[in-house]
Amino acid sequence: MTSPTLWSNGDRQSLLASRDPSTGELMFPTFVEGSPLAETHEAAQLPPDGVVYSYTVIHPNPKSGELPYALGYVDMDGPVRLFGRLRGKDRPQIGDRYRAVADDAFGYAFEYVVQDANNGGAQ
Amino acid sequence: MKDIYITGAAMTPFGRHTGTLAPELAQRAILGAMRDAGVTAKDVQAIYCANVLGGMILGQVIVRDLGFAGIPVYNVENACASGATAVHLARHAMLAEQYETVLVFGIEQLTALGGGTIPLQRNDAKTDLYAKAGMVLPAVYAMRGTRFIAERGASMQDLAQVAVKNRRHGALNEFAQQRKEVSLEEVMSSRMVADPLTLLQCCPSQVDGAAAVVLRAKPRDTKKPVKILSSIVQSGIREGARDDILDAEITARAARLSYEQAGLAPKDVSVVELHDAFTIAELLYYEALGLAEHGGAVDLLKSGATALGGRQPVNPSGGLLAKGHPLGATGVAQMVELVWQLQGRAGARQVEGARVGLAQCTGGGIAGVDHAASAVHLLGV
Repeated sequence: MTSPTLWSNGDRQSLLASRDPSTGELMFPTFVEGSPLAETHEAAQLPPDGVVYSYTVIHPNPKSGELPYALGYVDMDGPVRLFGRLRGKDRPQIGDRYRAVADDAFGYAFEYVVQDANNGGAQ
Repeated sequence: MKDIYITGAAMTPFGRHTGTLAPELAQRAILGAMRDAGVTAKDVQAIYCANVLGGMILGQVIVRDLGFAGIPVYNVENACASGATAVHLARHAMLAEQYETVLVFGIEQLTALGGGTIPLQRNDAKTDLYAKAGMVLPAVYAMRGTRFIAERGASMQDLAQVAVKNRRHGALNEFAQQRKEVSLEEVMSSRMVADPLTLLQCCPSQVDGAAAVVLRAKPRDTKKPVKILSSIVQSGIREGARDDILDAEITARAARLSYEQAGLAPKDVSVVELHDAFTIAELLYYEALGLAEHGGAVDLLKSGATALGGRQPVNPSGGLLAKGHPLGATGVAQMVELVWQLQGRAGARQVEGARVGLAQCTGGGIAGVDHAASAVHLLGV
């Protein structure tokens, strides 16, 4: 299967979406090359981070030997909602801020952004 | 609109039918439904077979030796809504006066797959990408559960109570796979699968089964005739960037259309069979089906109205949680249960005086929509 282009210019700085020029609606991931819809949409860079809309922690069957992992929906400005792995915190919370990062296995994942309690900013 | 009746209904017990081939399993339901309807193979003019994972031309494989006279066999796939979709299509053909007697059956053999969650359909880029990251249906429902608890001030126990209720119902149903009542403590302490959903809040994945109904354009004289009052199938609309994952939009839409078609309101429904693949689903569907107001799902559950003996029992069969969920068979089996309920043939789980039954099932399996399909049927006597 042809894979969608996930990152801008190969620099892995910004995730890409497809934008419908007539409505401004963003769709993630981008339409794959060769799709007729790719011809009618333009690429748009997404913001670096967003907030968790909802999440779950998957507990694989103990027989598998896999450790629990978190998954969630992350809402970004645009607006657009992405799904992916949530890392850096055992138990995410709704409203937590996560940043998109490159991932060899999944193409991208989200890394928890530690909030600075003193000024409310992210570190 | 022309009246269409369900004149025969039968199903196999849902459970592990290890070593049984598809024809042997489905034929039990088919022959049972035909006996129930008082029809023979020569009376049937078309056959609709609902199945998801059983391979090509499964319907023809199953009915080859049953003596049908080369009549059309239509194989129908619409994920977990396949069975309901098959009934919907059969009714369409009958309304168009193509047939007067039709057999519809659903079958699935999930034990052959070895267990575990049903994988998503990965033939589009978005679903493939999300599935790689771990999107499976339990995760999708679990995220609804997380959001439900946060937005509604609900608890994990509120979700778990759905499993307690439906498994209590299932204990009364000889066709259910899991016939053991469970306590709230047992549900809560069962293995965590996808937080906040524990194992006993998920429908069993190791299950086989078949169900069949006979549809006729005329009622049968000898029994309380069950009429299809409405039949709606809808497809998912691509999710927006800020959609509310608690509003079960596709099911609310299908339900609204179904009530309109039947000229009925939610208060008219006596008994419901709905798609409780996971506990959170039942709570969301209370609201989508209009059984509860927005925000009223947990209160409705706690009131006892949806338990056997309550005002509008939901899933008296045990639902998917206890009865099991052999995908292609589920939608037909829901209607079999409603026929039995409406005709007073449901034994220990009988809903007294049931006049109108609602069956709802959804089909999932792709990313980017609430569900791929949702079907809502209303049946009445």
